[in-house]
Amino acid sequence: MTVTSTDLPTRRNASATLAMLLADSRLPAGAHVSSNGLEAGLRHGLAAHEVADYMRTRMTTVVRVEAGAAVIARHLADVRPSADGAADTEQGSGDPDRDSFRPERNGIAPERDTVVPDRLGVLETEWAARTPSAALREIAVALGAGLARIGQRIWPQTAAVLRPTPLPRPIVLGTIAACAGIGAADLVRLVAYDDAQTVAAAVLKLEPTDPIRVTGWVLDACAAMEDSVSELSRLTRPEALPASGAPLIEDWAEVQSVLPRRLFRA
Amino acid sequence: MPEFPASERSLRLGVAGPVGTGKSSLIALICRALADEIRIGVITNDIYTDEDARLLRSAGVLDPDRIRAIETGACPHTAIRDDVTANLQAVERLENDYYPLDLVLVESGGDNLTATFSPALVDAQIFVLDVAGGGDVARKGGPGIARADLLVVNKTDLADYVGVDVEQMVSDATEAREGEPVLALSRTDEASVARLREWLLALLASHRAGAHEPQDPGPMAPHFHADEEGGYVHTHDDEGEEHSHQHVRV
Repeated sequence: MTVTSTDLPTRRNASATLAMLLADSRLPAGAHVSSNGLEAGLRHGLAAHEVADYMRTRMTTVVRVEAGAAVIARHLADVRPSADGAADTEQGSGDPDRDSFRPERNGIAPERDTVVPDRLGVLETEWAARTPSAALREIAVALGAGLARIGQRIWPQTAAVLRPTPLPRPIVLGTIAACAGIGAADLVRLVAYDDAQTVAAAVLKLEPTDPIRVTGWVLDACAAMEDSVSELSRLTRPEALPASGAPLIEDWAEVQSVLPRRLFRA
Repeated sequence: MPEFPASERSLRLGVAGPVGTGKSSLIALICRALADEIRIGVITNDIYTDEDARLLRSAGVLDPDRIRAIETGACPHTAIRDDVTANLQAVERLENDYYPLDLVLVESGGDNLTATFSPALVDAQIFVLDVAGGGDVARKGGPGIARADLLVVNKTDLADYVGVDVEQMVSDATEAREGEPVLALSRTDEASVARLREWLLALLASHRAGAHEPQDPGPMAPHFHADEEGGYVHTHDDEGEEHSHQHVRV
């Protein structure tokens, strides 16, 4: 089937609904293979009772890079014709929550096919420079490919960007956010929640403990992130992507990628 | 990825069954029997390692790069049924890298009797039991045993050692499957390997002709409830809902 501008889906969903969908582990995106490095961490000295700290530490380090990349990708992928006919990146009102629901009306800006991939390529380079672990980059691209499968089908507007090259997960998320209408602030919270919940689900497999207590850890970690939501959701330029990686997390990601008899791929 | 009509891409054939029943060996057997005639690729699903992929590569039956391993993140059941993303990606990549392939075999991680493939991932599936697992397993049923496209009763050469009556096991299985095909197989029994080969080539021909329709064995076997009027057979299409299933008077 050829998708044309006239048969784009008229379905509209609220930013919050879309964020819930994308953060739901039941989404068939192949994400259950990751523990966010927890498995390697537990084998290399992280105690089970320190997992809450691990979730929080991720919020101040790698999650800033992931969430920042998603927000910037959302900004770069949001290309629509402006009033005078020239395509430009919409700047929005500056209030990430108020900008949260702006799905395209009809028509893909032709620039999406050419300009957007180039811009996202620049962002990917900046993201890669802040993600020194090859294992982390590799799993991000694998998870991005799973999400891109869903993106292309559910939001055909994303296909021109998502189909040609595999992109890391945060950039795929940002592209979907731009096309489907997820606000920047919700996007940051989505990345944060997903990160913590991935660790939570993995710890229940690896070092089972009271699952309700672990659920509390997820909320604690997300609460710790809340102060940064506003700052991260305003990012627009690839160069401004936070460089807040954590050497130990990167080390565990590398260890995980060659861990014998592992339960999780990452 | 190019999207072809199903009949123009490879036949995707799942191989499921409990741990140790000989899924990897069956795949090696298929490769040995057919690799000279048709173009084959293999995807393995392992829980902890890429053991199965390595075993198959070292068997030398196929170019090692045509054998790819998927890691199932502690959820072998999920990866072939509810969230087939990783497997579909691997299948499509393999089909793309070695276009055109005739057959892609997808081996499930060894799971229990309830694990079956989603028709979103495979066109057909083989369920593998072995005589060493016990002669009564075929009678116990389950979606794979009852409704996979082919049930293999493997390692028939061991039957005497484990005290299993192969004929009885095959007859139980045939009854559980309401006459659908059951193959008693041993890699040392050439006639049985020839029958496997014949079944597979017929399926491939049907797939190419666009005549093959993938069937879902279902998450649970239909079963019989006796009551005063004779009883009824029913299936659970959605285990979460009460009485949403079909009842058929018999």
